[in-house]
Amino acid sequence: MSTLPENKNPVRDNAMTVVATALLAAFLWWAEGHLDGYKIRIINLIAINAILGLSLNLIYGMAGMFSLGHAGFMAIGAYVSALLILTPEQKTAMWILDPIAPWLTGIHAPFLVSLLAAGLLAALFGWLVALPVLRLGGDYLGIATLGFSEIIRILITNLTPITNGPLGLKGIPSHTSLWMSYGCLIAALACVARLMRSNFGNVIRAVRDDEIAAKTMGINTYSTRVLAFTMGCFGGGVGGALMGNLITTIDPKMFMITQTYSLLMIIVVGGLGSITGSVVGSILVTTMLEWLRFVENPVTIGSLEIPGIPGMRMVIFSVLLIAVIIFRREGIMGMSEFSWDRLFSYRNRVTRGGGAS
Amino acid sequence: MRKLSLAVLICLFVSGAAFAADDAIKIGFYNCLTGQNAFGGQLELEGVQLAMEEFPEALGKKIELVVVDNKSDKVEAANAVTRLIERDKVSAIIGTYASGLAIAGGEVAEVGRVPVVATSATNPLVTQGKKYTFRACFIDPLQGAGAAAYAYKELGFKKAATLVDVASDYGVGLANFFKQSFIALGGEIVSEVRYQSGDQDFTAQLTEIISKQPDIVLLPAYFAEGAIVLKQAKELGAAFRFMGGDAMDNPEMATLGGDAIEGFLFTGFAYAPDMPNMNAVAKKFTENWYKKYPGKDPNANAALGYDAYLLIINAIKRAGSAEPEKIRDALEQTKDLLTVTGTTTFDADHNPQKDLGILGIRNGKKEFIGTIVP
Repeated sequence: MSTLPENKNPVRDNAMTVVATALLAAFLWWAEGHLDGYKIRIINLIAINAILGLSLNLIYGMAGMFSLGHAGFMAIGAYVSALLILTPEQKTAMWILDPIAPWLTGIHAPFLVSLLAAGLLAALFGWLVALPVLRLGGDYLGIATLGFSEIIRILITNLTPITNGPLGLKGIPSHTSLWMSYGCLIAALACVARLMRSNFGNVIRAVRDDEIAAKTMGINTYSTRVLAFTMGCFGGGVGGALMGNLITTIDPKMFMITQTYSLLMIIVVGGLGSITGSVVGSILVTTMLEWLRFVENPVTIGSLEIPGIPGMRMVIFSVLLIAVIIFRREGIMGMSEFSWDRLFSYRNRVTRGGGAS
Repeated sequence: MRKLSLAVLICLFVSGAAFAADDAIKIGFYNCLTGQNAFGGQLELEGVQLAMEEFPEALGKKIELVVVDNKSDKVEAANAVTRLIERDKVSAIIGTYASGLAIAGGEVAEVGRVPVVATSATNPLVTQGKKYTFRACFIDPLQGAGAAAYAYKELGFKKAATLVDVASDYGVGLANFFKQSFIALGGEIVSEVRYQSGDQDFTAQLTEIISKQPDIVLLPAYFAEGAIVLKQAKELGAAFRFMGGDAMDNPEMATLGGDAIEGFLFTGFAYAPDMPNMNAVAKKFTENWYKKYPGKDPNANAALGYDAYLLIINAIKRAGSAEPEKIRDALEQTKDLLTVTGTTTFDADHNPQKDLGILGIRNGKKEFIGTIVP
């Protein structure tokens, strides 16, 4: 069983965290000025996928609830945020099928408020769903949450006066800069790390590993799971809002089950139950798919010309995924976490000639 | 082994990066080459490649097509267009199938100031208020209005019903546009019934529709469910006719629906390989297609890919330059350009004013009935 390692040297560790954050900030500042839009977009996506992966990991990896409903909560977040930051003129121009609900036209909020609202509303829906559904367990929970996510999508498709139905929303004013997405990511990382270090973290892990034993210890397992699920949904809502804001357009089709699958892929590759794993998985999945695009280009080796085969990168990517699952079944990070302690002790081991663990 | 595979990988990467010729005009192509819409995206690519063989040059320079897949995914679509603009520095872009993806790509192109010609994205929002986005296809309201006009004016039907898949954005959208136009013309919608993708039994819905006695029922479904609906309607003895959209245009219809599809009508693009009175471009397209892809029928997607390429080449020639900004201006001026799916003139919203094709099933075979201007 894994827990976050105890803090043996808090002063050094805090200092290292500050330094690392400063380095990240310096990198972002440099990236903003020097990298092209394509690379900046990918770097943004890494942060957003990491937030989404982290929130699903909280539900699935850390609390052990197999949920397939994350796309639904992302959809709620994305729509709430978009509807809050679109201008009244944009709204009236876009609703072609049915006129927009009058109360909706005037509602407007700054981006950060809309992010918070997105998270809160997704959490509210998550809570409402969790109350009945978390009485189920295992596969049944997966099916129930999948059903909920589909219901959300169908509601969005058909509630035309509020969501513009199948036409979707476009022209969402873009606020997702590197600072915004990484700010949110760091906030999310700090919250989840603190949470998992607290007693509540121990409780969550106890419920996941052995529910009956946890019950015997006097833990209210049901309310613990409801709380963890609701917090995961909050993250899903914020992530969905950021994602919609980055591509500046959303529609119901975007939140199909495949969206949940790609998040599952991130956390399974990174490591179920690991905060670090969510970030590592996000970096890997997001950059690999883009980087592998070159295999689809036509290639000339000497006089031999090979035409590009579309879909080739997916084949290679799948092989890589299979390799990860075969050689590291528990994902790249497993359940372990990055910590300064581990890093330093690893370095010491290496400099001493390694061997002992 | 490890070293060898690494060497191969490096070779691939280096040669992959160094393939570009300098004095060519680059046109980007992003589309659903994999994922759930791959069927349409592949055909559009084949259409573009056919057009490229016919017109390989412009302004004395070779045209180079940079093909990027978007995996039928919105995030990937935005990535793909960013990549085409920032990395490959293309002059213009063609793509894509599926409106949601075209909107995502269009938003990026707007910022990057490169013109995009969407192939088969029919959602009106794709070009609304966009300076750099154009499209080769008609828009959903036109299809809805055309179906309504044909049913009301040509067939004289006054009472209509709709049977819609609530989970399908395409179906909900098309039914709404049909409803608006049909009511505006003076018709009456007597019943609006819903079902959900994957349903197999439609008898309850059909019984309700039969009790309201409409003249025609709009069925904006995909062919698999559409065929089952038609079959069950026939078994229940329904007296009304059915009308569908372009998604029903599939050879599988006859196999699935049997003789129940007789008399079924649907709207679509004004092109079919066996249509009478084909225009010169369409004729040439059909001939060349069968030469290049023998044994495979061209469909509307292939034709739209071909048309999108023609639109861009034509604009480059008129602009006399491969600068994105100038191509955009020339595209906007496109007037009466003969393309496979009719003549193309862009309106203020960059949508081509095109005829709508009315097709039907007679004696078990698809038949091109005519065109209608809604």
